[in-house]
Amino acid sequence: MKAPNDKLRWSLRRVRVIAGNTFREAVRMKLFLAMTILAIGALASSFLFQEFNFGSSELKFIADFGFGGMTVFGSALAIIVTAQLFYGEIEHRTALTLLAKPIYRSEFVLGKFLGAWATVACFLGMMTTCLIFALWWRETSIMVEYPDDFQDGRIVRYGAVIGFSAIQALRIGILCSVVVLFSTYASSSLFAMVMGVLIWIVGQLQHIATEAWIAVDNWLLKGVYALASFALPNFHLFDVGDKLALGENLPGAIYGKLGFYSLLYVSFYLAVASASFNRREL
Amino acid sequence: MTPAISIEGLIKDFRIPASKARLRAVDNLSLTVERGSIYGLLGPNGSGKSTTIKVVLGLLKASGGTCEVFGKSSEDASARIGVGYLPEAPYFQRFLTGRELLEYFGCLSGLERSGASKRIDQLLEKVGLEDAGDRRVGSYSKGMLQRIGLAQALIADPELLILDEPTAGVDPIGAADIASLIIELKAEGKTILLCSHLLSQVEAICDRVAIMGRGRLLREGTVASLTENAGQDSIRVDGLSTETRNSIESLAKERGARVSTPSRSLEDLFLELARDEGDES
Repeated sequence: MKAPNDKLRWSLRRVRVIAGNTFREAVRMKLFLAMTILAIGALASSFLFQEFNFGSSELKFIADFGFGGMTVFGSALAIIVTAQLFYGEIEHRTALTLLAKPIYRSEFVLGKFLGAWATVACFLGMMTTCLIFALWWRETSIMVEYPDDFQDGRIVRYGAVIGFSAIQALRIGILCSVVVLFSTYASSSLFAMVMGVLIWIVGQLQHIATEAWIAVDNWLLKGVYALASFALPNFHLFDVGDKLALGENLPGAIYGKLGFYSLLYVSFYLAVASASFNRREL
Repeated sequence: MTPAISIEGLIKDFRIPASKARLRAVDNLSLTVERGSIYGLLGPNGSGKSTTIKVVLGLLKASGGTCEVFGKSSEDASARIGVGYLPEAPYFQRFLTGRELLEYFGCLSGLERSGASKRIDQLLEKVGLEDAGDRRVGSYSKGMLQRIGLAQALIADPELLILDEPTAGVDPIGAADIASLIIELKAEGKTILLCSHLLSQVEAICDRVAIMGRGRLLREGTVASLTENAGQDSIRVDGLSTETRNSIESLAKERGARVSTPSRSLEDLFLELARDEGDES
C-alpha cells in the first residue's frame, strides 16, 4: 500500500483495469447481445443469396456485403459504444468516485478508449467469423454446382478476409479516439455521437481536401486545406475491400503503413483528449 | 506534522453559461484538518461544502487560494494517495456486483488482486453486506449503496476519509452503526472529514466543526467552544426531587444568578447561523 508521501507514477496497470471494466460494462450492458444479433443477422442474410444462384460471382457479392457491413456497423458501433462508455461515466457521475482515486485522467482516457475499442474489435471478430463461415459454406456448395470455376481449388482467400477485418479495426480505433476526444468536453453523449458521425463522413472525404491543398494557389485556402488534411484522418485509405478476398493481393507493407498511420492519429487525438479532460471540472 | 488538509483563502467561481457572470461557490475559505481528528463540515444546501470537497479531491480546480492534502497540492493526483471518498449520492457502476466494485476500486488504489479478496470479505462484513456481496449494485437499496460506498472508500485503508452525507438514506440503526464505525476509524488513527445534516451525530463525534454559509466560513472551532455560552456556568446533576431542585433554584436566584438552559446544541447554533445568513441575503 502506498503512503500519502509517495509520488504517484503513471501506470499501465490502472489503464488495464479501467479498460477491462469498460469492456465488462459493454458485455453486461447487453451491447454484446445486440452485436451478436447484428452479426448473426448479417450471416443469415448472406444465406438468402443462394436463391440468386449466380455462380462464383455470388461469393464476391457476399464478400462485398460482409465488408460493407463490417465498415458501416463497425463505425456506427464505434461511435455509439465509445460515447456511451466514456460519456456515460460523466453523465451517471460514476467518474466522480473513480477520479477521486489516485489515478491520472490520462489513464482514464486511455483505459476507456482501449475498452471501447476492444468491444468494437470483438464485434468485428464476430462479423469476420460469420462472413468466413458464410463464404466457406457457399463456396463449398458452388464448387459442386460449377466445378469449372474452381479448377485451381478454392478462390476465396480467407486470410485476406481477416486482413480486411484487421484494417477496419485500425479505422475504428481512430474513430473511437475521435469520439473519446469529443466526449471529454461534450455536455451530452448526443453531441459526442454527432461529432463522431461528422468526422466519419469528413474523414471519408478527406482525400478531396488533400487534393485541393495540392492544387489550390491561394495561400489562405491552401493553409485551411493543409490543416484539414493533417488534422483529420483519411478514412478512404482503409477502403481496401475491393482489392481483397477475390481480387488482388495487398502488399504486406500496406498493413504496416496503415498501422503506423492509425497509431499516429490515435496518439494525437488521445493526447488532445487527455489535455482537454484534465481541464474539465466534474 | 503536516495537516491532513490545509485550505488557505480558497475561492471557487463557476461561470454561468450564456453569461459573463460568475457564481462564487466558495469565498475565501481557510481551514485546517489535523491528522487523527474528525472534522465536521456543516452548512445548508448550496453553502459550498460539496464544492470544497471536490476541490480537495482534485475534481474541481480552485479559482484562488491554495488547497493541500498531506502537504501536496490537491490538483496533483499523488495527493489522493491515502484518501478515501464516499460521495454524497452513491454513484457506482450498477453492472458490477458489490464484490467486483470493491475489487475494481481496490485495484485502482494499488491493491494487488491476490490480496484483495481477504480485504473485500473484511469490508463487506464491516459494513454489513456480507450476504449481498455477489448481488449487482444496481439492485441495492439506498442504504446498501451508502454501505458499499463506505466500503469502497475504505478499500485501500486510507489515512484520510472524506465522507459526504454517509448516513443519507440509512435507517437510524444503520446511522448509529456508521457513527460507531467512524469513531472506530478515528481510534485507528485515521482522519475523517465529515459532511452531514445529522447535527446531533456531528456534535457527538466531531472534534472540530466548520459551519459554512453562502460559500463563506461562518464559524469554526471545537464543538465545545462553539456550543458554550460565554460567561455562563452549568452544573449538571441527576436524581434530584422536585422539592430539592426548587430549593436550589430559589437559592441561586437569591444570590443573583439567572437560571436557564445552560448551553445550546450544535443544531441551535447551526439554525441560528443559517437563518442569519438567509436574512442577510
